[in-house]
Amino acid sequence: MWGYLFLSPWIVGFLAFTLIPMLATLGFSFTNINLAQETPLTFVGISNYQRLTTDPQAWSSLAVTFRYAAIALPVGVILPFAVAMLLNSRSLRGSSAFRVLFFLPYVVPFVAGVLIWQGMLNAETGWVNGFLQTIGIENPPNWLNDTGTVYPALVMIGIWGIGAGIIVNLAGLQGIPTELYDAANIDGAGWWSTLRHITLPMVSPVIFYTLILGVVEVLQYFLVPLVLNNGTGDPAGSTLFFNLYLYKQFFTFQNMSYGATLAWLLFVVTLAITLVLFATARRWVYYAGER
Amino acid sequence: MRTRGRFFTVLIALALLATACGTQTSPSGSVPSTGASGPVSGGQVEIRWYCCLGGGDAPEQVEVENKVAADFNASHPNIKLTFEAVPYDGARDALATQIASGNPPDIVGPLGIGGANAFPNQWLDLGPLIQKNNYDLSQFPENTVQIYQLAGEGQVGIPFAIYPSALFYKKSHFEEAGLNEPPHKYGEPYVWPDGREAEWNYDTAREVAMKLTVDKNNKDATQDGFDPDKIVQWGFEPQRDDPRQVGAYWGAGRLVGDDGTTAQIPDAWVAAWKWWYDGMWTDHFSMTGPQFESPDLNPSDYPFFSGNVSMSENYLWSTYGVGDAGDDWDLAAVPSYNGQTTAAFNADTFRIMKGSKHPDEAFEVLTYLLGDASQELLTVYGGLPAREANQDAFFETLGDQFPQEVDWQVARDGIQYADNPNFESPMPNYNEALDTLNTFGSKLQSEPNLDVDKEIATLKEQLQSIFDQSS
Amino acid sequence: MDATVRVEPPAAVGPVMARRPRLRRDGIRTFVVTFFAVALLAAFLSPMLRAVTTAVKTPEQITQIGAPLYPADPATFEWQGKDYPIYEVPIDGQTRQLALTRKGRVTSEFVDPANPDAGVITWEGSWRSLPQAWTFAPQWANFGEAWRLLDFPRLLFNTVALAAIGTFGTVLSCTLVAYGFARFRFPGRTFLFTLLIATIFLPAAVTLIPTYTIFLKLGWVGTWLPLLVPAFLANAYDVFLLRQYLMTIPRDLDEAAAIDGAGPLRTLWSVIIPQAWPGLAAVSIFTFVYSWNDFFAPLIYLSTKPELQPLSVGLARFNGVHYRDPALIQAGTLMTLIIPVLLFIVFQRFFTRGIVITGVEK
Repeated sequence: MWGYLFLSPWIVGFLAFTLIPMLATLGFSFTNINLAQETPLTFVGISNYQRLTTDPQAWSSLAVTFRYAAIALPVGVILPFAVAMLLNSRSLRGSSAFRVLFFLPYVVPFVAGVLIWQGMLNAETGWVNGFLQTIGIENPPNWLNDTGTVYPALVMIGIWGIGAGIIVNLAGLQGIPTELYDAANIDGAGWWSTLRHITLPMVSPVIFYTLILGVVEVLQYFLVPLVLNNGTGDPAGSTLFFNLYLYKQFFTFQNMSYGATLAWLLFVVTLAITLVLFATARRWVYYAGER
Repeated sequence: MRTRGRFFTVLIALALLATACGTQTSPSGSVPSTGASGPVSGGQVEIRWYCCLGGGDAPEQVEVENKVAADFNASHPNIKLTFEAVPYDGARDALATQIASGNPPDIVGPLGIGGANAFPNQWLDLGPLIQKNNYDLSQFPENTVQIYQLAGEGQVGIPFAIYPSALFYKKSHFEEAGLNEPPHKYGEPYVWPDGREAEWNYDTAREVAMKLTVDKNNKDATQDGFDPDKIVQWGFEPQRDDPRQVGAYWGAGRLVGDDGTTAQIPDAWVAAWKWWYDGMWTDHFSMTGPQFESPDLNPSDYPFFSGNVSMSENYLWSTYGVGDAGDDWDLAAVPSYNGQTTAAFNADTFRIMKGSKHPDEAFEVLTYLLGDASQELLTVYGGLPAREANQDAFFETLGDQFPQEVDWQVARDGIQYADNPNFESPMPNYNEALDTLNTFGSKLQSEPNLDVDKEIATLKEQLQSIFDQSS
Repeated sequence: MDATVRVEPPAAVGPVMARRPRLRRDGIRTFVVTFFAVALLAAFLSPMLRAVTTAVKTPEQITQIGAPLYPADPATFEWQGKDYPIYEVPIDGQTRQLALTRKGRVTSEFVDPANPDAGVITWEGSWRSLPQAWTFAPQWANFGEAWRLLDFPRLLFNTVALAAIGTFGTVLSCTLVAYGFARFRFPGRTFLFTLLIATIFLPAAVTLIPTYTIFLKLGWVGTWLPLLVPAFLANAYDVFLLRQYLMTIPRDLDEAAAIDGAGPLRTLWSVIIPQAWPGLAAVSIFTFVYSWNDFFAPLIYLSTKPELQPLSVGLARFNGVHYRDPALIQAGTLMTLIIPVLLFIVFQRFFTRGIVITGVEK
């Protein structure tokens, strides 16, 4: 009974602001609702879902999202952990100052951050290429204007927001009882062995958390390309992410019913991937308090 | 299993309930819904004025807009006018959300033709109200009234502000290069330093533009050894907000045929796009995409404002920021193409939404904004009054603002070369078509070595399939 | 390095012989690790430096191609009532600082500021290749200007109030819900937890329009309620984070408390929360920063009430209006960072305390 009581705030919020809106949207996907509504609103069965199967843009944009995820996800999980390890190192002097400074960019308002990076990565006048030219690279990449470098460029922009990930990892690292390390020390375990057998298992719930959120975030990724190039998908459609296509159907093309259909597809895809991850979690995520 | 079964029954019931809510507040506008606006108190009607889908959100503008609303309320006890300023970046999504939730505002503006087209079939036909109130449309030039007459939708707007075009140019750049300035009178030729006269067309403009394009070693784009990676001054900048505008300065046209379903690309636009493409990638007189996007080379999205561009086609509304380019700019005639001159034309007004629950009161507000309040609003928006009688006063204000004696007559002359049909004419599936067009435009700007003819053919096919989806 | 070794008292544990080289190794390691961290940080923060330098530049410098990276004014000389920029001109084997009065492709005209009466000097060559003289001149006034134009104090009050109330509600409700999920067994727990996680995957566009409709019917549009009430009803992200965190806390202490007769609320308050500080601090700071920067929700729910809007919306309007002045935009942006960063500095103590509590007490 206590369990339900503690859960009650979420249950109320879930019913009012998630479930009802969600089902309303599911309802939309079976109608022809759109903003202009030039034809009367009717129930159209599964025709939106049929359109989905023959819409090349929907599938190519889903492929774009997966291609980007293949680069962004490993970076987004490993880098915050690595930086947190660095910040947690006893060999680091002034770690609290480092913590603040690594966190700093996370606070930058999103649009302002994109503007700053647009300046940094500009092929003509950006500092990144200025630096590359200084160290002798004559033809530095075009970054955001080249299909070959646009994903690394977007990952770089994304790295700016790892402040949150660092903190979560740091909280996890600092939650590891020190006697575990002392014991390992006495056993003569080296750095690598300590990392593998103590640190990683102990922070695995936190890594799992960043992984799951990383998956969710990367599958819904679209705001940066939207701000960068008005959602045109430049260069050559390589930044037309699935959620960007969804957003455009919803707001730009004002096609609510098809947008709702796309949203549900995204929902199902994300859910499927995370269910797989949860199924594997039993094998590698260690919970000290689990019964 | 049983509990889960029951749970799903509840889900389905909720879904039906929610969908029912959705239908009740459907955005069709014909279904009455219980939105936020409505009778306020004592028979007073609330009218919501929504801004800013294009201009109107600067603090000094908002101040005037709020004052106009307050003045209106003081003199009209039957109506409570509320002004909502949503910053441009979120205005479109916020309006779509309001409409979809059954809470549309009554009046939207200031709003351009393109901005209005982004919300197709949402604007009230003012025809019946104009007739009922005996509103006199003859006070405006006929061609400005016609812009707002749409087949199947009626008279969706009344003229308010108009924006003719001209060629903005930097006098000092011409002087430094030892070149004569471009002609101010339409039809006059361009005179080269050696006295040779040439028709002021885009071929001549290209030559002049290349002479004005300079790298950091002071070599211009026509000279050997010119370094296109180190350009510090560009000769020419088109109106590149969307590719249609680049085309509209070459010839009037639209992307859909008279039947309203066939995709077409006007010949003049094809020529314009190829000229501009070469201008970026081989003649180098126009910024490439990466240069345009550089906050250091082009901090304000309009390269001419940076002072590093010599000539730029644009609307009179550029006066809001052209001061950044220095005090040595002037206006000249737009170059001709195939012996024909076209100066793209734009117009802003306020419109009433179809979903308005109080169209009569909204019309009363509308006529106030277009009448009593128009002087005040036009001044702060920088819009040329559509009412010809008020235009002299407007140019006097501009003259005070820019004391270097700009030749404003060029802008006045531009009105008669307005593009008709307007480049922003409606097309089926407008937003999707525009999106495809912008993707095409940014491809031109970001990729060298394209086969532009092939890209244009692809564009036409894509437009056709988007138009086909609408029927 | 040697000094460190000598000052260090003899170690109580371990052989003394092993101690010396190890300390030296530690010193080198400290240097390498710290140096590496500094290099990484420099790369990481270089965009910030760009923002800061932009914020204190004049509009003229920003648009001038070839201007220095640091904030500076071109050196000028007033001649016949007009200011002219000064260049370093090589004439007759020496470099002279001259004011450029007329630009030309082949020849340009200069005036010597030291001797203007000598008249115009005509120089043959390309003026664009001459180095220009600059003086360091940061425009600190840009911050004051941005403060005034943004109407900063009012926006700041709204933002702080929204973020503080929202953070309080979120931490309160999410702690309760996470505790429920982490420590209680009840029918449907797995199902509810899956449902909770599932909501994370719901694209925001899915719920936006129906949610707006619900708030509209409640009459909450144009108030802070649509932004604050949901905060008190927990959210999947933070519940998930806190539940993950609570799961890493061993149950021994809870069970000891239970044996002592403590109820669930007591246990939460006196056993779980003291051990969960790092997690709670993280959730607080995330929520705070999230609501500090949240743009779309306040935009659509407060569009009719500028007096209730937070900084994010104010800043967006400011960017839209002053986009021709990147310096003011960056100045405005930097000002919005101050409070979240200060809060972070305060909150990060809890992360450090986390070590003490979970490490030593047991």
